[in-house]
Amino acid sequence: MAAINWGYGISKPRAIDIDRNNLRRSDEILHEMPELQSCIGCGSCTAVCTAGNLTEFNFRKVHTLVRRGEYEGAYELMNRCMLCGKCRLVCPRGINTRGVVMLIKRKLGDF
Amino acid sequence: MKRRVVIIGGGVAGMQTALRLHAAGIGSVILEKDSATGGKLRDWHKLFPTFTPASEVLDPLRRAVGAAGIEVRTGAEVVGLDGRGAVLADGTRIDGDAVVVATGFTLFDARIKEEYGYGIYDNVLTSADVERMLNEGTLSMKNGDRPRRIAFLHCVGSRDEKVCQRHCSRVCCVTGVKQAMELKERFPEADVFNFYMDIRMFGSGYEEMYREAQVRHNVHFVRGRISEAAPTIDGRIQIKAEDTLTGRPLRMSVDMLILLVGMRANDDNRRLADSASLTLAPSGFVQPADPFLHSVESGAEGIFCVGTVTAPKNVGETLAEAAAAADAVADYLKNR
Amino acid sequence: MSFFAPFCLPFMAGAVVMFALLLVKWSTWFCGMPRADKMAVLRGLPTRKTLAAVWEVVSESLLHRRIFRINPVLGYMHASLAFGWFLLIAVGWVETVACLGLRYVPLQGHVFYKYFAATESLPHLAVFDQAMDFLLLVVLSGVALAWGKRFCSRMMGMRRTTKHVPGDRVALSALWFVFPTRLVAESITAALYGGGGFLTGGLGGVMEEYLSPLLLARLFEPVWWVYSLSLGVFFAALPFSRYMHIFTEVPLIFLRRYGVRAGDKESSGDRFRTDACSRCGICIDPCQLQSVLGIDDVQSVYFLRDRRYKMLEMKVANNCLMCGRCEAKCPVGIDLNTLRRNSRDTMRNIPDERRYDYFAGVDRSSGEGRVGYFAGCMTMLTPRTLTAMERIFAAAGEQVWWADRSGGVCCGRPLKLSGETDSARRMMDYNAGLFRKHGIATIVTSCPICLRTFREEYDLPGIEVIHHSEYIMRLIRSGRIKVGRGEEKFTYHDPCELGRGAGIYDEPREVIESLGVLVEPHSTRENSLCCGSSLANTVISDAQQLRIAEGLAAELDATGASTVVTACPLCKKAVSCAASAPVKDLSEVVAERL
Repeated sequence: MAAINWGYGISKPRAIDIDRNNLRRSDEILHEMPELQSCIGCGSCTAVCTAGNLTEFNFRKVHTLVRRGEYEGAYELMNRCMLCGKCRLVCPRGINTRGVVMLIKRKLGDF
Repeated sequence: MKRRVVIIGGGVAGMQTALRLHAAGIGSVILEKDSATGGKLRDWHKLFPTFTPASEVLDPLRRAVGAAGIEVRTGAEVVGLDGRGAVLADGTRIDGDAVVVATGFTLFDARIKEEYGYGIYDNVLTSADVERMLNEGTLSMKNGDRPRRIAFLHCVGSRDEKVCQRHCSRVCCVTGVKQAMELKERFPEADVFNFYMDIRMFGSGYEEMYREAQVRHNVHFVRGRISEAAPTIDGRIQIKAEDTLTGRPLRMSVDMLILLVGMRANDDNRRLADSASLTLAPSGFVQPADPFLHSVESGAEGIFCVGTVTAPKNVGETLAEAAAAADAVADYLKNR
Repeated sequence: MSFFAPFCLPFMAGAVVMFALLLVKWSTWFCGMPRADKMAVLRGLPTRKTLAAVWEVVSESLLHRRIFRINPVLGYMHASLAFGWFLLIAVGWVETVACLGLRYVPLQGHVFYKYFAATESLPHLAVFDQAMDFLLLVVLSGVALAWGKRFCSRMMGMRRTTKHVPGDRVALSALWFVFPTRLVAESITAALYGGGGFLTGGLGGVMEEYLSPLLLARLFEPVWWVYSLSLGVFFAALPFSRYMHIFTEVPLIFLRRYGVRAGDKESSGDRFRTDACSRCGICIDPCQLQSVLGIDDVQSVYFLRDRRYKMLEMKVANNCLMCGRCEAKCPVGIDLNTLRRNSRDTMRNIPDERRYDYFAGVDRSSGEGRVGYFAGCMTMLTPRTLTAMERIFAAAGEQVWWADRSGGVCCGRPLKLSGETDSARRMMDYNAGLFRKHGIATIVTSCPICLRTFREEYDLPGIEVIHHSEYIMRLIRSGRIKVGRGEEKFTYHDPCELGRGAGIYDEPREVIESLGVLVEPHSTRENSLCCGSSLANTVISDAQQLRIAEGLAAELDATGASTVVTACPLCKKAVSCAASAPVKDLSEVVAERL
């Protein structure tokens, strides 16, 4: 039986569909930087972030989405980072945040 | 011949162990480094989740210790121990048939987290300061004003790699909820915000208390860790965090910032452990022989551990554990 | 007299190949240099800089004085090989002139003079025989040390020695053969034809005694062949090996004297730097990534090698604290940090004009002042420094404009250190505009990273940039603030960017000495350790950073000082985690004693 089309499918579904998302690049990123998985989402990084206070950039959100296989726009957002490193000084999990920014840019961008 | 147990530490753990041993007909001596027994509870106001005054726990224990005629040596700092006694800082040796280590914990020094401004700005307090001030009836802003907006920050010196304290101190979450309610009762006009990473309500009645704080006391819970505190021009404290549930940076000024400081291992655990070949966990707390059947035994012959010297615990757990420790000591002495 | 024998051919071929390659390489590198650099060279040529360069070539390329100062045994090894060999050639040339008068003698005639003198019965002078033997002995001792270094680097006072690439192995093997075969060849010649000094003559005498003349005669030609072949192979392999440094250090010295340094972008002129590295390995020992963490493939010597052979990986380029400890010790004076930065630029710089559009909305600055205070990003997380500076400004009655109190833009150095040079430039231009706007005469900063960036990268005409240690020192000297001196013992940690980076060593010390007693840690000033939290490194983990900090803290604690003083928020954060004594910023200890 074909699925019923209710006609509401104009915009892309908002759900993060882990079944459809390809986690290969996310796995590669976590393989190089396993400690990223230890993020407890406390938001300290975004709280101190100059770029995050001025723009939509939210380091925590971007890397969390990347870990879920949502890569779209991640490279462009990470480019807003000034790499100043304040986030690394406040991260309670000891994540090498600047390394994460550069790793995500490398894996999802063009260098 | 009457047996004697050397108990190091005269807090609730040490006193309760001594009392339970006394009930089993075993004598003991309590070595307390401070000038009086009671430990950290002496400066505590009320206990969660029932808001029982700390004195209602401490006073009966102290009275019973006195009534039982248990020997208490105050000002006695222990520098070394083995299964047959302890050595004091002045070189005196106190002998016994077994040793119970009940030396407790150290409060995290909030000045280390410089970015929160403790010791720099007025009106940045720790949870311990709040208890003391509630006891003294002096809780207010430095200039005597009533605070209109108060923020609590959870996990200060807990779960923080940057200060080498990776463990969870367990009791700060519920303490934060308790103090939020107490402050709200004292300053009903004030808005209270609790900044947390995770709320861990592990004990009976805790979750209910959390809900009551939210619904009845209108305490705001913001999921995000404060990253820094700075003074504002009008002398308040500006705090920055991410409101992680909305994904946006958040900043606000408050009249009072209260840091819920964690429980960390005593610095001299290392020295005591080295003198008696005890094992220390990576957190610096003493590691019991195993966490199940021998949770009050140190693994070293004749040495037992009780209370927060092995891990962060609340008062109820500590008192219950003291009974278990007394039982284990009695068993040990009987079979020797 | 033809001065030719068939065995000379390998040598001649090798020499031709080497000189041709050198010429091609150097001219390509020079032509590819930025125009400004080429002009600097042309303008510098007729000045005294040229003379200074010539003297430096003698003292460094030949005598290796800097290596001597760092490690005498290693210095002797390099000098005996380089200067000894040079003298062998120079004295050999004088010898032929002395024996034959001023007449044309082809190159091989000088090099193999002993052979031709013997076989063609040319004159030889005893004094030269002795002198040449002495020089040969010196060179041989250097070769022996080089052997020793290969097998036991500790013998040379080094923990580790460098690893090789194939070109090196060929050249190295050939080089090891050159002088021993020369010794044998000349000794056999002496045995058969007489002559020779104390060494070749002496060894020749022993050979004459114990070996049959027939055997010696049979060995005579082949040994000279082996000698020539070793030389030829060495020369031909030289441009492809580390020994390229022997010649390349010379133009590098000239370039440096003319003020040509490595820049933000890679240039073919950088080849004069990468190829001038002799791979002496002096940069390995001071590297804390090696000594504390055991990481042994990222040090400058490997970085330069990998870059030169085009096998540089990002993780090698990135894994460096850029603390500058190796650069301070490099005997060739290569701009190691700049080269690493421009490699990172090549690997990562993606200029995008839109990236920092949002700066337009950043400027919330207001007010004016004679002095601008830029705390720096990291200082925001060490507010004790901020409150201390506030008290100091108040005590001095200074009218201050707080540049970044309500949140400022990063100075740009972290981006630049990570290779995003063009993005960093945008940030720097934005900040510079901000500073120019507020009518300040002086910028005081508490962050050594910002300090260097403002000084080196910002266009701030009429504005003096100083670190708060310099500012406080001036206040104390001019009597604008009064501090109480006690007996307290302080130790001071030199932050990399402040000390080696900006050359500020004495100012903080003068301030501390006006407060109490200063005790120096073991590694201090140019040699001070890095705290491990350097922004230049994005590879090592927090746990590894902590281990580096613990190493530093141990040295600071060992001084027995009651307070550790430093002048960088990052160093302060890093050291206070690891040290048992309290760690304070310079401004804090001053403010406490106002």
